[in-house]
Amino acid sequence: MAVSLAPAAGTKPAFRARTVVARRTARRSLRAAVLWGYVFGITVASSAFSYNTIYKTAAERRRLDLVFGANRAVAALFGPAAHLDTVPGFTAYKSSMAVMIIGAVWGLLHSTRLLRGEEDAGRWDLLVSGETTLRQAVIQALSGFAAAAALVWLITFAITAAVGRASSVRIGVQASLYLALALVSSSVIFLAVGTLTSQLAASRRRASSYAGVVLGLSYGLRMVGDAVPGLHWMVWTSPLGWVEELRPLTDPQPLALVPIVAFTFAVALAAVYFAGRRDVGGSILPERSSREARLRTLTGPLGLTFRLMRSSMTSWVVAVAIGGLLVGITAQAAGSTVVGSSVEQVFTRLGAPGFGAKAFLGVIFVILAMTVGFQAATQFGMMRAEEAGGRADHLLVGAVSRSRWFLGWLVAVALSLLASSLAAGLFTWIGASLQGSGVGVGSCLAAGVNIFPPALFILGAGALTIGFLPRLTGAVMYAILGWSTLAELVGGFVAESHWALDTSLFHQMSAAPAVAPNWQTSAVLAGLGVLMAIVGHQALLRRDLEQE
Amino acid sequence: MARAADFAIRTQALTKRYGDVGALVDLDLEVAAGEVIGYLGPNGAGKTTTIRLLLGLIRPSSGRAEIFGVDCHRRPVEAHQRVAVVPGEANLWPELTGAETLHLLGQVHGKVDDAYRDELIGRFELDPSKKVRAYSRGNRQKVLLIGALMSRADLLLLDEPTSGLDPLMEQAFRVSVGEARERGQTVFLSSHVLSEVEALCDRVAILRQGRLVESGSLSEMRHLSAVTVEATVAGEMPELGGVSGLSSVAVEGKALRCQVHGPIEPLLTVLMQSGVASLLIREPSLEELFLALYGRNSDHAGEH
Repeated sequence: MAVSLAPAAGTKPAFRARTVVARRTARRSLRAAVLWGYVFGITVASSAFSYNTIYKTAAERRRLDLVFGANRAVAALFGPAAHLDTVPGFTAYKSSMAVMIIGAVWGLLHSTRLLRGEEDAGRWDLLVSGETTLRQAVIQALSGFAAAAALVWLITFAITAAVGRASSVRIGVQASLYLALALVSSSVIFLAVGTLTSQLAASRRRASSYAGVVLGLSYGLRMVGDAVPGLHWMVWTSPLGWVEELRPLTDPQPLALVPIVAFTFAVALAAVYFAGRRDVGGSILPERSSREARLRTLTGPLGLTFRLMRSSMTSWVVAVAIGGLLVGITAQAAGSTVVGSSVEQVFTRLGAPGFGAKAFLGVIFVILAMTVGFQAATQFGMMRAEEAGGRADHLLVGAVSRSRWFLGWLVAVALSLLASSLAAGLFTWIGASLQGSGVGVGSCLAAGVNIFPPALFILGAGALTIGFLPRLTGAVMYAILGWSTLAELVGGFVAESHWALDTSLFHQMSAAPAVAPNWQTSAVLAGLGVLMAIVGHQALLRRDLEQE
Repeated sequence: MARAADFAIRTQALTKRYGDVGALVDLDLEVAAGEVIGYLGPNGAGKTTTIRLLLGLIRPSSGRAEIFGVDCHRRPVEAHQRVAVVPGEANLWPELTGAETLHLLGQVHGKVDDAYRDELIGRFELDPSKKVRAYSRGNRQKVLLIGALMSRADLLLLDEPTSGLDPLMEQAFRVSVGEARERGQTVFLSSHVLSEVEALCDRVAILRQGRLVESGSLSEMRHLSAVTVEATVAGEMPELGGVSGLSSVAVEGKALRCQVHGPIEPLLTVLMQSGVASLLIREPSLEELFLALYGRNSDHAGEH
């Protein structure tokens, strides 16, 4: 079969050569941009249509607005609610926080993958050896990201505008454009942040971690600003806070675009500046190219696994501890507004009945369980990366059996998850006790241990998949996480959707400390995780190692 | 009769298929302990597949492979105890230093000749304090070479071991393989560098499209190809039409250049009639053998 590599007729080869990075970035972003545009649009559509189904009468809508509009617990978790007695108000409220977080995570992971990840793999050398420089290549990559973000915006806008034409929704074209802009803002900000950290850090993992810290701080600052009376100014110190302050469909504040645009441009400019001041493959933040050998723990596969996971483990435990501390601090203020409101019903549906700090923390620990589940997926994904990258071969051609290698990873990841779970319990208690919430250390630690079994289940699912379909290991773990998270979000707010909640992994655990942990259920979850790991282990022994 | 354990490597009808594609088909290969064998073939011929099957990293579709009499698939860890490997891709852990990587490889293998390791570090001029991330491709290759050689394993499986090395380091590699041979270690050398194989190996095996097409010592294999004859006669150039086995005949005055397949005596007898002023007979290099073999097989392939 003849394959033509010549440029298409009518194109200018020089122009093509000088825009190859931009076109490649845009092309590699296309699928994700279409996917996320569709997801964002569908999120808006489902929120808009579900409103009329759930809240049928004007009285129900006014009650919803009165209760949620003034609720600091809800504001801390999902952002401030306004005009919930209208379809646009509810739609903006339901869509914004989830899309903001998903968009930001996608932005930082996507940009660090296409920039520092490609540089790590040596492919950037080929691109930069063409008719471009590193600085120009980064400008091109930013152009590609801008094109991708514009596509997300357009698709989100198109779906929103189409939905807005329905008589039961009524969202105008201009409002749809503005809502879509607000929804895509966090992606744009974190695409730029990821581009900058890719210049600063010497590895993709480190670049993603730095951008993740910015995201974590952003979320934490806006959460404190929304939850604690008198500290609302803190919202304006956070990029996610600026996005929140755009207030689409309710009380639009286009002024909040100023810090968003200024920050994004400043970050992008800094990225371009730093790109011109470093070598290809190098980084701005110094990384010593040589050091004394540290051999004490490098005694075999398990020691190596701990060494490889060390920075990831530390980052996750610290992030979960800081998150726990912050939500612990807000628990008393946030939980006090739950009493007697329909938020109580939402919390009850999520498995945390009652009111006060304990109920609030019950929901918070569900979110922490999702976080630790995400940690399980990322860290076990490192094992697959070891196999795919051919590094596992060095161990398995020695006196290390596949069983020993596999068990080493399972043990290391499980210990890392346990550490995060305990940190979540301990630091949430410290935060809560600083505000005199009255939640005991035992309850918080038990709640921390309670989020460990769902993470073990995800780890087990990953172990099962790596045994049979190694290339799908990450996809399966993230699919379980994604579905369960979506089910919690939808099921929590829509009374008719209890079936959705029932399919969520996190709904199977007790929402401690709101209720006592159900250790029997936890044992079943953990047991299923172990069982899947055993089956995965047997399959691993019988298959070829697969490199990519 | 030779026992199974006398062979460093023994495969019987070893086959690996990916769907309908045979990456390796019915490989029967025996490598005696202490032998240095070159394993040749173009890209995609099945060389790396053979090594990965020998290491138990992939499962055979059929057939079996043994290392020192131990089944590579059923008892891989036991088989690995006498093996050290340089894989085809120099993928290492970027955050470890060279010293840490060598230490880890030693721990994994279970035995290291520390003095020899230090000697190899000096011979290959490796700075072990550097992180792997900061190493060039050639330096990463050196780490793998040192990691394999320092174990003094009974069998060295080397997949393109000099890839990325400069000529001086290639020389250091040849010295190291020579030392391994003197110690009685078996070396299985998969390589594209034919001069390297010619210099180091007692025997070569040649793969094509997953099948073993030739195997033997270089002298045995030379009989498979033509020798080149360059002669000048004192008198008139005799009639060569009746001489069998000649090809690529070029006559210029009293000078003759041609290839001879089979016995050379008939040509010499004819030339002697005119008096031979000078005569040069050159055996084919491995490269010529390789190219001749592939040219021949490609022609056959083209006929199908």
